[in-house]
Amino acid sequence: MTVQTIGIVANPASGKDVRRLVARASVFDNREKCAIIRRALSGAINAGGYKFAFLDDSHNIAGGALLELGEDCDAKRVPSLGTSSVLDTIQGAVSLKELKPIATLILGGDGTSRAFVKGWRDSVLLPLSTGTNNVFPRMSEATVAGAALGVLAVGGVTLDEVAVPVKIIDVEIEGESPDLALIDAVVTRDRFIGSRALLDGDMINRILLTRAEPTAVGMTAVGGLIRPTPEDEDAGLHLTLGRTGKHQVHAPIAPGLYETLRVKKVEVTPFNKVIEFKGPCVLAFDGEREREIQPGQTVRMRVSRTGPSVLDIDKTMHLAATRKVFN
Amino acid sequence: MAQAKKKAAAKKPAAKKTAAKKAAPKKSAAKKPAAKKVAAKTRKAPRTVAKKGASNQGPSNKTLKEMHLKMLRIRRFEERSGKLMEDGKVPGALHLYVGQEAVASGVMQHLTSEDWITSTHRGHGHLLAKGGEFKPMFAELFGRSTGYCKGKGGSMHISNMDLGMLGANGIVGGGPPIAMGAAFSNQFQGNKNVSVAFFGDGASNEGSVHEAANMAALYKLPCIFVCENNGYGEYTRQSKHQAIVDVADRASGYGMPGVICDGMDVMSVYEAAGEAIELARSGGGPTLLECKTYRYYDHVGIRGMGLNYRTDEEVEEWKKKDAINNFEKRLIQLGVMSRKQLDALDAKICEDIEEAIQYASDSPFPTPDQLLEDVYYVKGA
Amino acid sequence: MSEAKKPEPRVLPYVLAINEGIRTVLSEQDDAFLAGEDVAEAGSVYGYCGGLLDQFGPRRVIDTPISEKGIMGLGVGASATGCRPIIDLMFMDFIGECMDEVANQMAKMRYMFGGKATLPVTVLTMGGAGGSMAAQHSQSLEAWLAHLPGMKVVMPSDAYDAKGMIISACRDDNPVFVVLNKSSLAMSMEVPEESYEVPLGEAIVRKQGTDLTIVAFGRMVHEALDAAEQLKDVGLNVEVIDARSVQPFDTATVVTSIKKTHRALIVHEAVKFGGIGGEITAQIQEQAFDYLDAPVMRVAAPFSPVPFSPALESLYIPNAASIVAKVKETLEL
Repeated sequence: MTVQTIGIVANPASGKDVRRLVARASVFDNREKCAIIRRALSGAINAGGYKFAFLDDSHNIAGGALLELGEDCDAKRVPSLGTSSVLDTIQGAVSLKELKPIATLILGGDGTSRAFVKGWRDSVLLPLSTGTNNVFPRMSEATVAGAALGVLAVGGVTLDEVAVPVKIIDVEIEGESPDLALIDAVVTRDRFIGSRALLDGDMINRILLTRAEPTAVGMTAVGGLIRPTPEDEDAGLHLTLGRTGKHQVHAPIAPGLYETLRVKKVEVTPFNKVIEFKGPCVLAFDGEREREIQPGQTVRMRVSRTGPSVLDIDKTMHLAATRKVFN
Repeated sequence: MAQAKKKAAAKKPAAKKTAAKKAAPKKSAAKKPAAKKVAAKTRKAPRTVAKKGASNQGPSNKTLKEMHLKMLRIRRFEERSGKLMEDGKVPGALHLYVGQEAVASGVMQHLTSEDWITSTHRGHGHLLAKGGEFKPMFAELFGRSTGYCKGKGGSMHISNMDLGMLGANGIVGGGPPIAMGAAFSNQFQGNKNVSVAFFGDGASNEGSVHEAANMAALYKLPCIFVCENNGYGEYTRQSKHQAIVDVADRASGYGMPGVICDGMDVMSVYEAAGEAIELARSGGGPTLLECKTYRYYDHVGIRGMGLNYRTDEEVEEWKKKDAINNFEKRLIQLGVMSRKQLDALDAKICEDIEEAIQYASDSPFPTPDQLLEDVYYVKGA
Repeated sequence: MSEAKKPEPRVLPYVLAINEGIRTVLSEQDDAFLAGEDVAEAGSVYGYCGGLLDQFGPRRVIDTPISEKGIMGLGVGASATGCRPIIDLMFMDFIGECMDEVANQMAKMRYMFGGKATLPVTVLTMGGAGGSMAAQHSQSLEAWLAHLPGMKVVMPSDAYDAKGMIISACRDDNPVFVVLNKSSLAMSMEVPEESYEVPLGEAIVRKQGTDLTIVAFGRMVHEALDAAEQLKDVGLNVEVIDARSVQPFDTATVVTSIKKTHRALIVHEAVKFGGIGGEITAQIQEQAFDYLDAPVMRVAAPFSPVPFSPALESLYIPNAASIVAKVKETLEL
């Protein structure tokens, strides 16, 4: 069997937004991101996966790491759009798809994975976290994550065994391009995207979650502390907030930042049930304000299991051990 | 000796007054229904920026209009100044702020005249956003005695102590140590005022910035380091002058938070600066806030020296993100202002500018006896 | 000088007079603070900040990182915004590290702002050779500072002046550099306990004479006085002026003296070429040319970095012998 290509995407902008201040988190510098990629590559190569396709970025994170490996690998570069915006990741995903990587390592926050999925919906991902406020990416040592990718690339495991499609929120916006979210879609009374972060619980009108996890931070924790909804449950969770709400939940809406929110209504939403409302409002996806909605403009959101597949590191490595991939 | 003592004593009430004035907003923050005991305990420093400005939609319309006004005043002032320079109507060199308006406006929205700022050689925008008026500013650019600095500083040293503006600065990296010193004053005097150092990606390589940042972090000074990363140190692009892309990456080396915001979006700057300033006011120390922005004009003047260091396409690409255009579009969508109102405001600003130019050119030049004035402070002079 | 009545005679070395000067200022001015490298816990490498931390606490006596740009910027920013900083620049030679903050910011801010900024900042710094500290810890760079409009520069030659000038400098609303001399630290004399000023910009005649005027700076005043003693033996009566202030320079006192003696010799420890002596010489010939019976002469360091070896350093620094020789040469003896 031929060795498959592994995709690599590193987001230079992750881990640097205003949440650092509120979270008292340190800025996540790009040297460290480069080092993470280098460790992941070493994991992959040592598992036998040496073919890579990487999305170039303005900081040369992935490219820099690959350069150091030199002849140990076969790396294809996908040029970046160079806008230093989310468009780079979206368009990068479209281009990367053409090189058919079996799975793609995404280094960044929830937003990075979301952008990638906007460009390539049925991709297979291994999202790795750089920040503090992540639900979708795994906190895992890059060496092992890379090894898991390598095992997959050399056929030590098959996709059917180790990757399952995740839930996703589809968002239709009247008269505009649609959008999506992997973890949460939030409707706020803000009027601007501004610094993107969601730092004020009082501004939130509505939260739709693919998963509600009491062990995480962010919007997912708000739901998770009321009605945990795991990734494997075939439903979403829809919270309507308001000052008259009876449920009071004290949740970490950002790392290190607890807020008390009043919830009027908690609904478990079956797949494809449409939640419809009108602007004006701002929509936040996966923790960041993304879209400004006009007064009267209609928005429809629904949850389904038609998202990308995510590689299960645990399962992959256990299978690799059983099958003696490294022995 | 008696005199000196009196002076020292005379100065104190001013500082006290400041402290008293500043105490007020804190009270209102405490009044906020901070939910349960737990919340109060977990949130030591008041984090009120997003909630400031009253309305339940974030910042009030008044705040939005003020920021828009700041940006538009800067844009029109700079366009006109650049034209005057290229027509040979003002002496010397002007470094213009067009393109970067969102940074000064978003930051300054959180400051009062009791907060200090230091600026750069590209300083008109900072002074305007801090409350600078057209007439004494144009008069200064024209070298007239009615200017803010009586015609002795000009564009590169334009300042106004009453507005808390510690000067544009002809030396790249000149401002941050001074801002750090001003922040030290605030801390020493025990008031809640902050100090903001504006500097560029070019200046971020100066040792003075490094020393100021280290000391601000060491003493936990209420000092915000706002890096306006416009991609160029004079005519040298960033990739040719530093090995990093994000100046904010350096923050962790100083032991302070580093944050990046969109310097082409006034709301992004407003929110990020708000958090940083609030943190500083509440004793949380300095922040390095990097605003990614762009200089539409040349390093000097509008077309400047016509050096071949960047492409027109690059400039046009950035202009698509224009802070003022995009903000106006949104203000109209939200019904905060109509196109008609915006046009009328613009016309009024342009009219005020022409009037100020007339005032400046009618103003007298400094007289020969003023040449040696103000070199030293002279008692009783 | 405003000495009312002589207090109890008390002898104090230069180093403790500096301490007392700072102590007096910190006691008198609530908005004054002292900041510099090793000034608080260590009490300064010269010992002149001893006990200040204990007396005034860490809010007002502040150890800084080794960051001269930062320290000097602190002085600029804090003085412009309502404080009266005393900044300690450990060695004068380190001024290269902060020349922008000194020359472009501190000295010029008031003028650039049209007189609307006031910078009551005092910088204490240590100049002078004599301890084999070599080329980067021994210089006398007062001419660099005196060249800056907006800056005041004084060089107290003894303990009395050190205390009084520090007090005057700190009461002045302009940036003032007080250039101290590290070879003078142990020199003792009577110093009043109370607060007093030594005016900035006024020279003082240390010894009356008729045959020649020596204008000396800083520690060179003592070498000049020694020389004057020795010259008595050959029947010469020279006048010795302690310049005390480099900027502003008291030309009037010098000119008055020259009208009496008709000869002048300038003595400073700084390198002769481009030193302040050249400026004084020019001023004398501009204002008193007709009174001169001989060329104005200079005794100063040769045009070389300060050498390390004691054998060379002692040759380098002007002293009583070299002054005596130059006086004789001037008088063609």
